[in-house]
Amino acid sequence: MARDLAIDLGTANTLVYMKGKGIVLNEPSVIALNRQTGEVLATGREAWQMIGRTPGYIVAVRPLRGGAITDFEITERMIRLLLQRVGVSRFTRPKVVICVPSAITEVERRAVTDAARRAGAADAQLIEQPMAAAIGADLPIDEPVGNMVIDIGGGTSETAVISLGGIVALEAVRVGSFDIDAAIQAYVRREHGIAIGERTAEEVKMAIGSAAPTEDESQAEVRGRDLMTGLPKTVILTPEEIRFAIEDVVSSIIASVVRCLAKAPPELAQDFLVRGMYLVGGGGLLRGLAQRIERETQVPVKMSNMPLEAVVLGAGHCIEHYDALKNMFMGARR
Amino acid sequence: MLTVLFIVMGVLILALGVVMMIGNRRINESGVRSFRRHIDALSPEARREVHDRVRAQRDKKEGR
Ligand SMILES: Nc1ncnc2c1ncn2[C@@H]1O[C@H](COP(=O)(O)OP(=O)(O)O)[C@@H](O)[C@H]1O
Ligand SMILES: [Mg+2]
Repeated sequence: MARDLAIDLGTANTLVYMKGKGIVLNEPSVIALNRQTGEVLATGREAWQMIGRTPGYIVAVRPLRGGAITDFEITERMIRLLLQRVGVSRFTRPKVVICVPSAITEVERRAVTDAARRAGAADAQLIEQPMAAAIGADLPIDEPVGNMVIDIGGGTSETAVISLGGIVALEAVRVGSFDIDAAIQAYVRREHGIAIGERTAEEVKMAIGSAAPTEDESQAEVRGRDLMTGLPKTVILTPEEIRFAIEDVVSSIIASVVRCLAKAPPELAQDFLVRGMYLVGGGGLLRGLAQRIERETQVPVKMSNMPLEAVVLGAGHCIEHYDALKNMFMGARR
Repeated sequence: MLTVLFIVMGVLILALGVVMMIGNRRINESGVRSFRRHIDALSPEARREVHDRVRAQRDKKEGR
């Protein structure tokens, strides 16, 4: 008998929690394929290393990139490989709880659960990402008080208000940390005339990116290809110009948080002022972002303890208490 | 003859009503119970197990 599993199928990273055991897998949600034959060549970290460096016959893709499933077949294969790697086969048949972006459609949901069942899961259930994040971030969601959680991932940002074990208000947008990378890429191209890859842009973001001025800021050197000469070239980027480059993305993420606040019933809104809102997800680690949200909403923002693991932790809790938490699964409320 | 029939019918309707009421109450009770179970399963005490497990895992990895 295989042990039951909880999966955080993120736009950037996939994590798997095994019942009674803990996190058994944590890697980028990337798959590399042979363009001609459609064969899978690599997944996870190995495939991630290929992004932007593949010869013509290989493609390395993130199937959930925009918080939507663009290619069902590829997504299905990724899920099957994932389950195989953690020991699921037709004979072991574990129960599986999967976290998906709340923006995905009914058809996409069915594709995910079907893929898990075909890969050998006895039962596959979905749970909303911000709900899992709130459980994992250790918020007192069993009480009749307003808990607010903001999950900023690669392709999506989801804000939710949770009380008494259920979602009261939810605002999900298909904007996230990948868009910050893209904004940096576009800026460097436009202002410095050099082309840089997606992974280089991500490195710049992590090294000097910020949503508000912070102490001890430094510059970064970035290498790319000169658009005029076609030759490698190095330029220096400052934190101010990166802030300027990513401002549109940052403000649209904050706008979605504000919209969620506006959707919350007034009784709960009072609670936020006292308890604050909790930030989870890799995108929430951007320097100065918590302060920016705090300033623009007038609500205190706190970083959760395990921002990158919160979602899988919450889903893991659901697999440990499967029967008691059954009515939290997405299919249950229809 | 007709009165007997009416009485029998009356009794039947009453019995049906009672059965429905009991059924209803049972459904309500099961609602209360499953809601309690749901909320209890989300309590900080219930959640500690998974948290401690993952935190221990992480500390072990960082310690190495
Ligand atoms: N220190 C950091 N500063 C800014 N962005 C970060 C940092 N660490 C991770 N990220 C970004 O967070 C995103 C991944 O977050 P994650 O929560 O794993 O996403 P998802 O849940 O969508 O898979 C990536 O786009 C990554 O670049
Ligand atoms: Mg996530």
